Amino acid sequence: MFDERLWTGLLLIVAVVGLSAVPARAQEPGPLAEPKSRNQVGFPAELYSWVIPADNPQTPEKIALGKELFFDDRLSEDGKISCDHCHVPNKGFTDQLPTSMGIHNQFGQRNAPTILNALFSTTQFWDGRAATLEDQAKQPILNPVEMGMKSPDEVVGKIKGIPEYNEKFRKVFGREVNYDDIARAIASYERTQIAFDSPFDRYMAGDRRAISDSAIRGWSIFNGKGRCMSCHGWNPTQPLFTDFKFHNIGVSAHKSDFVPLARKALAILAQGASPEQIDKLAIQTDMSGLGRFLVTKQPHDIGGFRTMGLRNLLVTQPYFHDGSQQTLWDTIDHYNKGGVQNPYLDGGIVPLGLSEAEEDDLVAFLASLTSPEYEQMAKEEYDLQFKRSRTDRPQRDTEAAMGLKGRNGPGLGGPFGDIGPGQSEMGENPALLGGD
Amino acid sequence: MSFKPNQTVGAATAAAAILSAIVILPAALRAQQAPPAHPVPPPKNGGTVVMLCDGKTSIEIKSLKPGEQPTESQGREVANELMAEWRKEHPDEHWQMAQADAGAKPHADPMSQASKSPPATGQQQGDTYASFTSRDYKVWQAETQKFVDEGKRIFHDWKALGGTIGVSCDMCHPDGANTHPETYPKYQVQLQRVALLRDMIDWCIENPVKGKTLDPNDPKLRALEAYIYAQRKGVPLDYGKH
Amino acid sequence: MAARHKSVETKFMEERDRVLRALRNLDRRSFIKVVAATAGAVIAKGLMPPHSFQLVTIANAAPDKASAASGMNGQPPFTFAYISDTHLYERTLNQRFIRAALKAVEDVNALDPQPDFVLFGGDLAQLGTPQQLELGREILKEVKAPVKMMVGEHDWFLDLGEKWQELFGPPNYSFDWKGVHVVVLMSVHEKDFWTARRMTPEERMATVAGLDNGVQSRFEVGEPQREWLKNDLAKVSSSTPILVFSHSPLYKYYYNWNFWTDDADQVQAILRRFDKVTVIHGHTHQMLFNQIGNISFYGMLSTAWPWPYAPQGLPALTIQMNRADPFDQFDACGDGRMEVRADGLVDKIYNLWDRNPVTVKADYLRSRGKIDRPPAPQFASY
Repeated sequence: MFDERLWTGLLLIVAVVGLSAVPARAQEPGPLAEPKSRNQVGFPAELYSWVIPADNPQTPEKIALGKELFFDDRLSEDGKISCDHCHVPNKGFTDQLPTSMGIHNQFGQRNAPTILNALFSTTQFWDGRAATLEDQAKQPILNPVEMGMKSPDEVVGKIKGIPEYNEKFRKVFGREVNYDDIARAIASYERTQIAFDSPFDRYMAGDRRAISDSAIRGWSIFNGKGRCMSCHGWNPTQPLFTDFKFHNIGVSAHKSDFVPLARKALAILAQGASPEQIDKLAIQTDMSGLGRFLVTKQPHDIGGFRTMGLRNLLVTQPYFHDGSQQTLWDTIDHYNKGGVQNPYLDGGIVPLGLSEAEEDDLVAFLASLTSPEYEQMAKEEYDLQFKRSRTDRPQRDTEAAMGLKGRNGPGLGGPFGDIGPGQSEMGENPALLGGD
Repeated sequence: MSFKPNQTVGAATAAAAILSAIVILPAALRAQQAPPAHPVPPPKNGGTVVMLCDGKTSIEIKSLKPGEQPTESQGREVANELMAEWRKEHPDEHWQMAQADAGAKPHADPMSQASKSPPATGQQQGDTYASFTSRDYKVWQAETQKFVDEGKRIFHDWKALGGTIGVSCDMCHPDGANTHPETYPKYQVQLQRVALLRDMIDWCIENPVKGKTLDPNDPKLRALEAYIYAQRKGVPLDYGKH
Repeated sequence: MAARHKSVETKFMEERDRVLRALRNLDRRSFIKVVAATAGAVIAKGLMPPHSFQLVTIANAAPDKASAASGMNGQPPFTFAYISDTHLYERTLNQRFIRAALKAVEDVNALDPQPDFVLFGGDLAQLGTPQQLELGREILKEVKAPVKMMVGEHDWFLDLGEKWQELFGPPNYSFDWKGVHVVVLMSVHEKDFWTARRMTPEERMATVAGLDNGVQSRFEVGEPQREWLKNDLAKVSSSTPILVFSHSPLYKYYYNWNFWTDDADQVQAILRRFDKVTVIHGHTHQMLFNQIGNISFYGMLSTAWPWPYAPQGLPALTIQMNRADPFDQFDACGDGRMEVRADGLVDKIYNLWDRNPVTVKADYLRSRGKIDRPPAPQFASY
């Protein structure tokens, strides 16, 4: 995949050199980029009517303009990075990379979330720092490791330099190009990326044979033993498999500096520091793992990330905010063992005791959440992941999952896995020395 | 001091609960499963014998073989025949008055009548289904209380509930506090759907209690529901409240 | 495959298990030796009364001379932390409560600066068995700061305090700390309700362990201990700030659940002549605070589970905590710390897990709610 990307880059350079004017892009977006019909089984019409903002109604012209902008490389500093660089329609509007690569081959800290059904989210980004798609769209364009533009004025200036855009903006918005309207148009296009119509949706609509027996068992585990439903909520009014809330499920704690960083941030807060000082710290250190805390500066948000929806997961791999998990089996293994321990772990994350067969059933259920346009792609990915899961399970820890060891088991064990301070302190406490 | 009565009542009911939990309740549950039946005389002509609800008058429907379901018109015909039979045997009596005489008493304030002499027959607005003696009320109350007490026992006993980690309901819900049965049905975020009280009982059994969920018809689940509702007597229903 | 893909936490747990296995195999004699050596070193420095169970790392036990000198009138502010109501079962039965207790230990060990000591607020065990109490002791050994033990009814009523006292010493004691006089009470005595009922020790324990059975007697400090308290305070001047630790609330909150101390009025009377008295209590598993005359009361959180608020008797000054989400075992549970101010009054920080901490200031209570009001809950009790 990486090679492919490099080749694409080279081709782009060749293309740019060969043309006198900078083109919008080298290739057409393709059929999967088209606005989606709302005539889909499971489409939540009521919810849809609530989420279209009154100050930015959907019109065909605005959507077309947004689409053009979404796929226009010229929105970036070097003219090579468009929105779809990281939100590729053929990859479920993600880049299928652990973390995204932006301008000048720089990697960010987080996995690119899908655009599909993003219109229904109550906040945007993994940490929810944008309230709307409009707010969201403005940020990557100006992010130095994403699209690298220096300021909104620079973006507006660049767009104004392209005559056809001037005309379209005047037609759609009745005024000169401005940064807010650029964001409005992009958001309108994004609001057409609706993905339901999956076998599961047909199953819930009454077609009992739309999904396999294994998937039906998986749905039952999803609601019961797996405890998935409490956060990845589904109901006919809001059938998105997310509570849109922020939870520390122990993903950040994979990294050994997570707890020291969190403690440092809390200490600074306790001394009465301003949120700006935390922001500064976040930039100077690798504090991305603190997640929602960086937005709210509230202790209970440390390491919390937004619950993501579960539709079309087999085209949006890898998983979690850092893209650290390759397969759905790895992801479920992570939950099954009760996450990675850290002092801020959500109390709802506990060992689940799922068997191998139950995990397979859960994956079968998740696979049934695939929309028709991604069916073939998802099938291929499922086969790959399935094959890999038979031999390679880096997150599997059956004993922990069954509560047979560690902090959860008869051995008592330490509270916080590989990152707790307990280990080094043990030798210092005289009451703990001696023994056999 | 306002707490004194509570103390006495609390101690008495708790002691009663402990005793009854051991001795009386299994019998009570058996009684529930097998309600008392009026024995019906055997058919003489290979048909089906049907009895009137006075427990005495019966006729045989020859065209209906044992195990067969009567049609609606057959049913009506049988009812008419039975009533005709009853009138034949009681030519001077009025059906409704006769049944009321079996022990009529008013609906209101049933227990206040307990120490007085029974009211004279035929003087109430009695009919078959509303003429009950104070004993009837006592029986109902006792049966209801046993059901509730059985729920109380399970509510306080993690083993009876099928728990595996020593957690019982009362550990988080003393006297059933914070179970708010009056707020169901409501959207329950742990389940991400609209739930009834019994759904949430099952959720608690599966999660904090670490036991196996109970079937909606399981006597334990029904008893738990009974206890929880009983704790909120007098609280207005307020479905959907959060 | 298992060996090849051993995860980081697997490796850590294995190492950890080895250490703890060694710890469990520590026989009683070597344990006493270790504790005695520790206690000896501490007593030699004149820091702790010999009768209280102390798990002390020597480095932490030294008083902070620099800050002592800088404080007002030689009475510097200090902080102490608490862990309370862990309700441990045997580890083979229930890991949930162990996990929560360990989380609290980790919390207080992470405090920077470290608290002067950690109060354990009682109900270490669920049913008072030796195994449960010993497990609790093992867990509390991991606390870096000195631990001050208090007993709860769940620790006491199986053997009427025999095992607990063997492990931790007398249940009531006092000490002076940085200008504050601290009293630890055993407030969960009950009148004999068990002999007449011919209860076994297990039945007696199970009865006391339930809130809503109505069979048990109510908690009391009792006449002998009230006398002890009078004597203990006789030599203390009325301007000395007093801290009282008791498991039950030293006032009458809700009779039916034994959120109650029957002789609370008499105990309050003994404390009345002091200017500043703060009572820290366990047992009620909720954010709970009260002011009666000169006495401020703070309830501690449990690590194991939250109690709902009682239907009657809630002190008017208490701001309820949000209702707990049962999905999250930690929600509405937690630990906390007290900041003892230079003037001897106490601000309390409720460290609610998975929520933001809530600070309840002495000024809020002493102004009868006029200033420093803590944030209101979104969902109060039903």
